[in-house]
Amino acid sequence: MDVSSPIARRARIWLLISLITLPAAACTPGGSTTQPSAPPAPAHTGVTEKGPVTLTVWDQESGPVSRIWDRLNAQFEHKYPNVTIKRVNRDFSQLKTLLKLAISGPHAPDVVEANQGWPDMGQLVKAGLLLPLNNFAKAYGWDKSVPENVLAVSSWTSDGKQFGTGNLYGYTTMGEILGVYYDKKMLASLGLGVPTTFGQFQQDLAAAKRAGKVPIQFGNNDAFPGIHEYAVIQDQMASKESLTDFILGRRANHLSFSTPQNMRAATTLQNWAKKGYFTPGFGGGGYDKAVADFAKGQGLFMITGNWIVANLGADNRNFGFFLLPPMKAGPGPVSTGGAGFPLAITSASQHPDVAAAYIDWMTSVHASNLLLKTGEIPLRIGAGTSTVEPGTVLADVVNAAAAAAKANGIVPYEDWATPTFYDTLTAAIQELMGMRITPQQFVAQGEKDYSDFQSARK
Amino acid sequence: MNTASRTQVAINYALIVVCSLVAVYPLLGVILASLYPPGPGSAPSGFALPPSFDWHNYISAWNQGGFAASFTTSIIVAALMVPASVVLSILGGFAFATMRFRGSRAIFYLFILGLIIPTEATIVPLYYDVRAMGLLDTYWALILLETSGELAFGIFWMRAAFLSAPRSMLEAARIDGASSWRTLWQLLVPFARPAILTLTVLAFADSWNEFFLALVFTVNHMTAPASLASFSGRYTTNIPLVSAGAVMVAVPILVVFITFQRQFMRGMLTGAVKG
Amino acid sequence: MIDAESVSDVPSRAVVVGGRRSRQRVESLPGEARRIGYLYVAAPFVLYAAFNLVPLLQGVNDSLYNWDGITPGTWVGLGNYTDFFTDPAIRDGYVHVLILMFFYSFMPIVIGLFLAALLSRIRIRGLTFYRMLLFLPLVITDVVTALAWTWIYDQSGPLNTVLKSIGLGHLIPAAGWLGNFNTALPSVGVFGMWGQFGFCLILFVAGVMKIPASLYEAAWVDGAGPVREFFAVTLPGLRYELQVVLVLSVIGTLGTFDEIYIMTSGGPGTSTSVPAYVVWQRLFQTGQVGSAAALGIVLMLIVFAVTYGLNRLMERGASE
Repeated sequence: MDVSSPIARRARIWLLISLITLPAAACTPGGSTTQPSAPPAPAHTGVTEKGPVTLTVWDQESGPVSRIWDRLNAQFEHKYPNVTIKRVNRDFSQLKTLLKLAISGPHAPDVVEANQGWPDMGQLVKAGLLLPLNNFAKAYGWDKSVPENVLAVSSWTSDGKQFGTGNLYGYTTMGEILGVYYDKKMLASLGLGVPTTFGQFQQDLAAAKRAGKVPIQFGNNDAFPGIHEYAVIQDQMASKESLTDFILGRRANHLSFSTPQNMRAATTLQNWAKKGYFTPGFGGGGYDKAVADFAKGQGLFMITGNWIVANLGADNRNFGFFLLPPMKAGPGPVSTGGAGFPLAITSASQHPDVAAAYIDWMTSVHASNLLLKTGEIPLRIGAGTSTVEPGTVLADVVNAAAAAAKANGIVPYEDWATPTFYDTLTAAIQELMGMRITPQQFVAQGEKDYSDFQSARK
Repeated sequence: MNTASRTQVAINYALIVVCSLVAVYPLLGVILASLYPPGPGSAPSGFALPPSFDWHNYISAWNQGGFAASFTTSIIVAALMVPASVVLSILGGFAFATMRFRGSRAIFYLFILGLIIPTEATIVPLYYDVRAMGLLDTYWALILLETSGELAFGIFWMRAAFLSAPRSMLEAARIDGASSWRTLWQLLVPFARPAILTLTVLAFADSWNEFFLALVFTVNHMTAPASLASFSGRYTTNIPLVSAGAVMVAVPILVVFITFQRQFMRGMLTGAVKG
Repeated sequence: MIDAESVSDVPSRAVVVGGRRSRQRVESLPGEARRIGYLYVAAPFVLYAAFNLVPLLQGVNDSLYNWDGITPGTWVGLGNYTDFFTDPAIRDGYVHVLILMFFYSFMPIVIGLFLAALLSRIRIRGLTFYRMLLFLPLVITDVVTALAWTWIYDQSGPLNTVLKSIGLGHLIPAAGWLGNFNTALPSVGVFGMWGQFGFCLILFVAGVMKIPASLYEAAWVDGAGPVREFFAVTLPGLRYELQVVLVLSVIGTLGTFDEIYIMTSGGPGTSTSVPAYVVWQRLFQTGQVGSAAALGIVLMLIVFAVTYGLNRLMERGASE
């Protein structure tokens, strides 16, 4: 072939182009991330910086809690006039998606609400995006203020490979609990009492159905409510130790999601859906609408978390709350919950000391007392709940949480188990409750996700 | 055989009118919904008029949706992206249409390749590239990406437009000793004005309507559609409020389209028929 | 979903890839140094190469690794590509866009052809106005139109009101049109059909106008009825427009994202997941970045294959 022919010439040009561009492209993606070291303990607690400081805070609070945050922010600014709080508020799903993008970009926030577990906090720690708070915890006494397991779920080893132990990356003094709200008048009109065993609860469901009521108010279009329904059932059928180990990925030979207990829980949930115990059309119903409807008296029970006390009103005496009872009366209550959304400091923050002071403020006794009225459960050791009026829905929630904590019966959220577990579990529960998959297929889907992750971890 | 009977004419008009109504109905519905009193459960359930004409939704939506900031972002991005992409397309199209130089065919094919490359194929590396440039969550990220995304089509479009210029015009310029620059801007560009106008409208539409890129690359500096999406996520049950936001987001592109629709249609349809 | 941009990709995609090429002569303006050409092309090319070509190569590279987006990736070669056969989550996405093509591509074309055939070839007064209206679904921002349809599908929205009033209320799924596993994807499809049909109609009507009247007269002389006339004269006369619309709509459907994000978030379950949405999820939510890159590359290969295949098909039809 003639070297100067058009074809040869074109080939040379292409060769040249690829030689130049390929090296730019062909290399292992992703660089090693430097793990930030823990900022040293401040000489003094509180804000010691004199110049103007803007603290950017990202959160996902809404409703009454959000308004309390505004108040607390204003009070902090009043206390430290040189500090301005710039608050960025997004909803739960958006925060999940945007957090990594926000922290690794320009204008990164200083303080963020970072959900515990593999999908969110785990990824952030691994990317070196959060600061270890150990020294702050010692200086402010955080490590003595709440039970150890609350700190544990926000702790990660510095390589981001194991959680439940290691450096502290987030702090909160408020907790959550999942359980069953009930409409007192409706319960009484059906001639029923608060169930003490799982069997009694199921009988109550059947009785409500027969009477033409909606046994469980529920809307799963947003996908996350399904986790609440499944988790509380699962908590009564599997042991809390194995569940906790599973979620934290603790044991050397990892546990499996394909257990008879998990399948039994899935079967139960699907049966309830089959029997029509949930709001008709729940697959397309929104969570907010379900809460609003329940508050209006549509539905005997609603299985969700403590936070809807804010929607019902803390002083509401028309509704009560109990934890889903165990299979047999006797052993202490078990339910899902634990530490609420922790606050974390990003490694891009220019003012970690100020951020720590802010976190201390937002988790102080003063803040907890304000938030208590919205149904947030105080986790502080020795926190008093004397301000709570007995007989109200808030009282029920707080007492139930205290009973569970006392019996050490709190299980973390299952969607924390792998980086993809939130997506896998929520979609699978939607399909399970929509009769699209069998309980076998359900646990198989969860197990595939879990075992894939565990083998990648090694 | 081309004289149509009265019934044929009537059928024609009926069909066209019905189709147009179908096309427009959802948009009318949104406008209607925005006039309802805000709050959950308040929404048009049919073709009924709202109980009262509540214009306050627009003010509330504007404030609560942060549209002042996002409209500013969208306008700034479009203001830079549209001229940039049109000018660059003119330059490139001109070169390919009137000049021969080594490798011009290869480079032209590389541009054509861009018509095949979907955004999804490059979005992953682009995210990390933009981040490495420190341009994450900035106007420039959107401006640069949208402009370069428009070039493949823009250059092809302008090349085709310039190719249809009469050779006599170019020859006359040559005889007069005009430089390529003068030939381009004083002869070819006025000649291809309709095509350029069409391209401008398209570029603006692409920029204003762009959602995927805004979602991936911006957080605090969202464009209008992205902030509308975020707004609707926060107020899912308040249809009238979100409708007001939706109408506001639709207005700019609507105005641009209506203003230039005659030329745009002409340019688009003749382009469609051109081989 | 085709947005206003791809509207005028009409000549480009249909013409260039595997299809007819305009054979127009390109001559230098004599007296110009050849190098000037490079100068004009430099600016667009540098931008284009930086943000389109180089990332493409990087994307191919990224797709060969298992990568969480943060720490160094591990080499898996074509592992992310074979996932296509083993991972239902990925497969389902492509199956769903295939189904959507029925609504986004096939149906609008059929409707457009049918209506174009019904409309006699007479001048319609105010055609510009109607054309404008028919174009609106394509021109208005996707986010806006998708939201509008979400409200149409709402449990207490206009669609259900109409159905109930004509006694078809029992058809309404309990979970809502977008919340029911079986109706969610078709519901998005209907939205897309609405978005595209106006464009098809306009294009076909314009195309029909350009068919020489002599052909129709000849058909009439031959005694052809309206149906035969359609297949013998109208359809072949619209060959070019058909090709254009087919290619554009099929490619556009492959990249569907906006309406899925707004209307269903891929749900319920994963019944409305589409490749672009899965790419976004894997990039941001689940940290499966290598897989996301691979999905994008596969999408491009499909676009190329479809464009090439469709053009070949239309050409073969033309030569018969």
